[in-house]
Amino acid sequence: MSLAPPEPARTTGTVAATTNGGAGTPPGRRATPRPGRARPGRRRLLTRDSVPYLLIMPAVLGFAIFKAYPIAASFWISLTTGNGDARQFTGLANYRRLIDDPLFWTALKNTALILVVQVPLMLGLALLVALGLNSTKVWLRPLWRLGVFVPSLTGLVAAGVMFSVILNRDAGLLNWVLSFFGIDPVNWLGSPFWARVGVVLVITWHYTGYNAVMYLAGLQGIPKELYEAAMVDGAGPVRRFFSITLPQMRPILLLTVVLSTIGTLQLFDEPYVLTGGGPDNATLTVTMYLYNNGFKYFDFGYASALAYALALIVSVLGILQVRLMGERR
Amino acid sequence: MSHQLSRRQMLHLATASAAGFGLAACGGGGSGTDTAGADGDSGKITVWSWTSAAEALRGVVPSFERDNPDITVEIQDVGEPAIWDKITVGLASGGKGLADVLHIGVDYLPGYLAKFPEGIADLSRLGADKHKDAFVEGLWPTVIGKDRAVHALPWEVNPLGLFYRHDFFEKADVDPASISSWDDLIAAGPKIRAATGAQLIGLDKPGTTQDMDFFQNLMQLQGAFYFDQEGKVTLASPEAIKALTVIKRLNDGGLLADTAGQGTWKRLISQGKLATAPEAAWAVGYMAEKFPAQSGKWRVMQPPAAVPGGGRSVIVNSTYLAVSNTSKRRKAAWRFIEHALTKPAEINRMYSSGSVFPALKAAYADPMFNAPHPFYGGQRVLKSLVDSLSSGSEATNFTSDYSRALKLASDAQSQVLLKGADPAGALKAAAAQLAQQTGRQQAA
Repeated sequence: MSLAPPEPARTTGTVAATTNGGAGTPPGRRATPRPGRARPGRRRLLTRDSVPYLLIMPAVLGFAIFKAYPIAASFWISLTTGNGDARQFTGLANYRRLIDDPLFWTALKNTALILVVQVPLMLGLALLVALGLNSTKVWLRPLWRLGVFVPSLTGLVAAGVMFSVILNRDAGLLNWVLSFFGIDPVNWLGSPFWARVGVVLVITWHYTGYNAVMYLAGLQGIPKELYEAAMVDGAGPVRRFFSITLPQMRPILLLTVVLSTIGTLQLFDEPYVLTGGGPDNATLTVTMYLYNNGFKYFDFGYASALAYALALIVSVLGILQVRLMGERR
Repeated sequence: MSHQLSRRQMLHLATASAAGFGLAACGGGGSGTDTAGADGDSGKITVWSWTSAAEALRGVVPSFERDNPDITVEIQDVGEPAIWDKITVGLASGGKGLADVLHIGVDYLPGYLAKFPEGIADLSRLGADKHKDAFVEGLWPTVIGKDRAVHALPWEVNPLGLFYRHDFFEKADVDPASISSWDDLIAAGPKIRAATGAQLIGLDKPGTTQDMDFFQNLMQLQGAFYFDQEGKVTLASPEAIKALTVIKRLNDGGLLADTAGQGTWKRLISQGKLATAPEAAWAVGYMAEKFPAQSGKWRVMQPPAAVPGGGRSVIVNSTYLAVSNTSKRRKAAWRFIEHALTKPAEINRMYSSGSVFPALKAAYADPMFNAPHPFYGGQRVLKSLVDSLSSGSEATNFTSDYSRALKLASDAQSQVLLKGADPAGALKAAAAQLAQQTGRQQAA
C-alpha cells in the first residue's frame, strides 16, 4: 500500500563487531570488539533488527491473549450447537442454516443498502466540509473545525436517543422544522423507508466530521508548490481539484473508504437504539441479528457463524477496495 | 415486567461491543471444576438487581443481617436491561463473575434454565419446595427446571388492570360497568374520541421496543400464548389471530395511537390524548407519581375480555430471585432469598419502597392492599388487582424460545399495523418461521 514508508536501507545487526571498519567507522580507526559485547555466534537481544520487534511486542502479546484466542474459539463454537458447556460438533450446519435464513439475508440487504447509499454520501460531504475548513477565507476556522468534529465525540447511544427524539413523528424537532415549509409530518421511525433514511441521517451526522478531519489533514499535506505550478500553467480551481487534490488525497480517501465500509458492516448501536431493527426488520443489521442470536436467544453457535460470515464479507470487500483504489506500483 | 420490556430499546452496550468475534469469550468449553460453587453459609454475599427493586432489597438487609450475624449482604443496582447481558455473559462463561443472588424476569428465567442447566442453583436441595403454595397460582411452574427441581422463588407478580380516564368516560356518557369485552370498548371508542379527542390506547406500532404485552395479554385472556403447555408453537392459533384482529380493529377505527419513540406514551398520557391504558400492577404507583396533575381522574377496572364472556384476569409478568450455582455461599444466598421473599413484613416493606407487587399471597392481608387510593378517586385499586389474582390464572409457558417468539410476533404486528397485512396470514408465516428456527412443532 502506498501509505507504507520507504523501506530503510538494511543494516547489519553487529556494526560494532565488524572488523573491517563498517559504515559507521571513521577512516583510520580500527573497530575492535570490546569485552562483554557481542561475540560471533551469539546474538544479542537488543540489536537494530530486534528493536522494532520489541516495540511491537506488547501489541502482539495483547492480540494473542485477548484476540487470537477468542477468534479461534469463536470459530470452534460456530461449528457446534448446544447448551452451556455441553456443545456438540455439528460441522458446517450453522453455516448451512445461515444460507437458508431469510432474516440473515434481510439483515445483509439492509446493511448493503446503507453501505451503498450512506458511505459515498458521507465521504462526499466530508470532502466538501474539509475543503471549506481548509480555505483561508473561512473566518474563525478553529471554531468551525471543532463544531464539525464534535458530533463524533458524542456517544453512539446518546446519538441514537437524541435522534429518536428529533425524529419523533408528532413531537420531533425535524417534523416541526419541516412544518414551516408546509411539509406534512414524516413518520421517520414508523415507516420502513423513512426508518432507513433516519438511520442514514444519524450515521452521517455522527461520522462526517470525523472523516472531514482526516481529509483536512490530507489536504494540508499536499505541497503548495504543486498548486503554484498548476496556477502558473493556467489551471483553474476545478482542474486543480481533479488533477492535484484528488490524486494526492488518494491514500487518505482509500483509508476512509475502507474504514467506513468496515464500520458500516458492523453497524449496531444507532439502529438498535433508534428503531430496534424495525419496522418489520427494515433496519435490522447483520451485527444486530448476531447480537440477538447470541445474547437474546443464547444461540452462540449460530451467532459465531454469523460473526465469521461477516468477517469474511468485510475481508473480501476490504481487499477489493484496496485492489481497486490502491495506487498501482 | 412491562417496565422492563418497554425499556428494552436502551442499548445493551456492555456486551454489544463484545459481539462479533468477542462472542468466543462466551459459551466456550469451560471445564466446570474451577467454577463449581460451595454451600457456604457465612460471609459476604452480593445481589444483582435494578433501580427501584434494588433499592427495595436494600431495605431488607438490616433485619436480615440482624437475624444472620455471620452474613453480610451487598445489593448492587446493575441497571435494566444491562442486568440481562451481565447474567447471560456470566452464565455463558461457566458462571464466572456472577453475583450470589440474581434478580431474573419471567421472560429470561426459562431460557436460562434450559440453555444453562448448570448455571442456576438447585434450591430444592436447600428446602425451597416447602414454599410451593405460598405464591400466586401460575408462578411455581416457571421456577422448575428440566431436572424438576426448584431454581428460584417468585418475588414480583404483575396482574393486568385497565387504567382508564374516569372523567373522559363520564364526558362521553360511557358507563365503565358496561365494558366487559374489547368489543364493548371498541364500540365505545368513537364516542370517547368525539367527546374528548382522546384515542383509546397507545401502541408502539413499528415495534421499536418489541413491547408485545398487549398482544400477549389478549392471548392470555383466552388462555393461550406463543407456546402451549407442551412447548408446541401456537403463534398462529385462533386465539392469537383473535388477539391480533382486536388490535387491527382498534387501528382501523382510529382508536390506536402510535407510541413509538422515546417518551411518547408518557407525553400522550400527560396531554390527555389516551383514554385508557392496559397496564400491570406496577403502574398503580407509577401513574400517581408521573402524572400528579391528573389525580382523581383515573380509575382501574378489570381488563375487558378478548372475546365476549371470556376470562378477565391475566398475569402480565413476574420476577424472581435465584442463586448462582457458582456461588461459594449458596446456603447464605438461599437464606437471604427466603428471608426477603417469604416474610409478609419484609415483602410489604419492599412493595412500599419500590412498587414491586408481591407474589407472596400472605402479603395481601396487610391493610394497605385494602386502602383507598387518592390518585384513583379513592378507589381501592390494589384490592381489585389482588382479587383478579385470586380468580386464578393458568401458568404461561414462556419456554426457552420466548425471545424468538416475541421478535416474530412483533414483526407480524408491525406488518398488520403498518402494511395492512392480514392477521391470520402474518401470524401463520411467523409461526412457521418460529417452528423452523426453534425446531419445535406447531400445535395442530
